[in-house]
Amino acid sequence: MSDVMIQASSLSKTFGNVQALAKVDFEVRKGEVVGFLGPNGAGKSTTMRILTCFISPTSGSAKVHGFDVFDDPLEVRRRIGYLPQRAPLYQDMTVWEYLDFASAVRQLDPGTFRTRLKKVVEVCGLAQVLGKPIGTLSHGYRQRVGLGQALIHDPPILILDEPTSDLDPNEKAELLKYIKEIGKDHTILLSTHNLNEVEEACARAIIVSKGKVVADGNLDEVRARSGGVTYTVSIDELSGEGGKAAPKAAEVRSFLEKINGAKKVHERPSDEKAHRFTVAGANDGDLRAEIFRLAVAQHWTLLELQRDAQSLDSVFRELTRGDEKMDRGRDWADEADDDESDSDKESN
Amino acid sequence: MSPMLTIAKREFRSYFDSPVAYVVICLSFLGLGLMFFQFNGGFWEEDRASLQNLFAYVPPGLSMLVVPVVTMGLIAEEKRSGTLEMLITLPVKDSDVMLGKYLGALGLVLTLTTSTLLYPISMFKWPWSLGALDWGPIQSAYFGLVLYSAAAVAIGLLVSALTESQAVSFFVTFFILLVMWYCGRAAEWMGGTLGEVLRYVGFETRMTGFMRGLVDTKDIVFFASIAVLCLIAAFRKLESRKWI
Repeated sequence: MSDVMIQASSLSKTFGNVQALAKVDFEVRKGEVVGFLGPNGAGKSTTMRILTCFISPTSGSAKVHGFDVFDDPLEVRRRIGYLPQRAPLYQDMTVWEYLDFASAVRQLDPGTFRTRLKKVVEVCGLAQVLGKPIGTLSHGYRQRVGLGQALIHDPPILILDEPTSDLDPNEKAELLKYIKEIGKDHTILLSTHNLNEVEEACARAIIVSKGKVVADGNLDEVRARSGGVTYTVSIDELSGEGGKAAPKAAEVRSFLEKINGAKKVHERPSDEKAHRFTVAGANDGDLRAEIFRLAVAQHWTLLELQRDAQSLDSVFRELTRGDEKMDRGRDWADEADDDESDSDKESN
Repeated sequence: MSPMLTIAKREFRSYFDSPVAYVVICLSFLGLGLMFFQFNGGFWEEDRASLQNLFAYVPPGLSMLVVPVVTMGLIAEEKRSGTLEMLITLPVKDSDVMLGKYLGALGLVLTLTTSTLLYPISMFKWPWSLGALDWGPIQSAYFGLVLYSAAAVAIGLLVSALTESQAVSFFVTFFILLVMWYCGRAAEWMGGTLGEVLRYVGFETRMTGFMRGLVDTKDIVFFASIAVLCLIAAFRKLESRKWI
C-alpha cells in the first residue's frame, strides 16, 4: 500500500446557499504532522467532519488509509482517532469510565484496553484524574481526555480539530508537547488558527481560506509563498550627521520610496527621537546596503536597520485576507494590511 | 459486547449517575400510591380483588411524566453538547447508535413499569393475601404495558432527534402522548369517520383489551408498528446530518 494516509480529492460541500468547501485537494503521508490552518469558517472543521464520516461531501471523494469515507465509513473510523472541537465528552462519567466506554464501543478486549490505558495515561498525563468525573475537570484536562479517547485504540491516524483552543498558555504548551510526542509514530492532521502552534508542532502546513486550499507545503515553502521581506529603518529625528539638520519624516519617506526594489513604505509609531519606517521588499534581494548608503549620502543618523523574513503569521493573513474583507468591508481590511508588517516584527 | 449494547448500557447507567432516575422513580411511586389507594376512595372502596385501577393510572402516568422526562435528552442533549459527533465518529453504525439509545431509555421505563409488580405480589401473594386474584389479566396487562412503553419511548426518541432543546422535546412528547392516549375518548362525542379513526389509533382503546386479559394480534401489531416507524424516522433524521 502506498504511504498516503489521507487523500482528499476535489472535496466540495455546500450548506444551503453557503459553499463551505470548494474543490479541496490534499494528501497527508505516513508519519507527517500536518497543520491545517485557516480563519474561523474557512472549512477546516467541515473537512475534518468529512474525513471522519460525520458528514458527506456534496461532491468529490476522500480516502483514509485507503478506505473511501463514503463506501467504508466503519473501516475509516476504526483507523482514526478524532478529537472534535472543544472535546465534547460525557460530563457525568469519570475519565476511566469514559475511556472504557470508548474502547468497548471500539470492541477492544479488556487485556488490550488495560495495556493501552497505561500508555494513554502516560502520554496524555491523566494519572491524577482517572477517577474524577469529567464535568469537574478543567478545560485543559478535558482536552487531554479527548486526546486519550482518540488514542485508546492506537490508531495510525489522528485528526484533531483545534485541540488547543480555549486553553491557557501553560495548558497549550503541555498539550503541544503531548502532540509532538504522539507525532513521532502517528500521522496527525491538526487544525488550528494559532500559527505559533504550527511552527512548534508541525513540519507541514495546509492553509485554507473560504473553502479553498491556498497554500500547501512545508513551513519554509509556505513562508516563501508570499515572497516578501520587511526592513525596519529608524532615523534620528533630533540631529543629522556632520552637523546637518535632522530630516523630516516626509523627506525620509520619499527617499525610501525611491530605492530600487522597495515596494511599500509605512511609517511606524516610535518614541519622539526617531522616524521609524518599514519597507517591504522582494524575497530574493537585500536592500540593507542600499538603505545604508542612502543614510550616509543624506547624512542621516541610522539608529536601526533590520531585515525580517515574513513570518507565517503574515503569510497566513495575506493568503486569507479576503475573509476579512467579506466580513468587515474593504476599508478595514486595507487598514489591517497596513498593520501587518508591524506584527511581523513583533513575532520575530 | 456489541457496540449497540455498550451504548444502551451507558445510556441506562447515565440515568442513575444523574438524579433523573431517582426523581422519576420516587415521584412515580408516590403518585401511583396516592392515586391507587386514596383517589376517589381508592382500592379499599372498590372491595374487589382487582387491580383495574393500577392499570388505569400507570399508562397515562408513563405518558405524561416518565417517558417525556426519560427521552427528552436522548438525542437533543447530545446534539446540543456536541457529544453526538464524538459518538457517531466511533466505529458504530448510525442504526446502532439509535437502537442503543432506545434500548437504554426503554430499559429504564421497563424497570419502572415492572417494579409496579410489587403491588399485585405484595397484596395478593406475600406478605399479604387480600383475596384470590385472577392472574391472567395481570399478565396480559403487563404485556400490554411493555408494548405500550416500546411505542411511547420510540415516539419520545423521534421527537428528541428532531430538536436540540430538551424543553421542546419534553413538551412535544408530552403533548403527543397525551393526545394519543385520550383521542379514543374524543371519538365518543365526535362520531363519523374521524371518530372511527381516532378510536382506532387511540392508545387507551388499544390498551383496554390487554387490561381485560385479551391479547389481540391487531393491538400487538399496532404498538410494534409505531415503535418501528418512529425508530426508522429517528434513524433517518440522524442520517440526514450528512446531507444538509
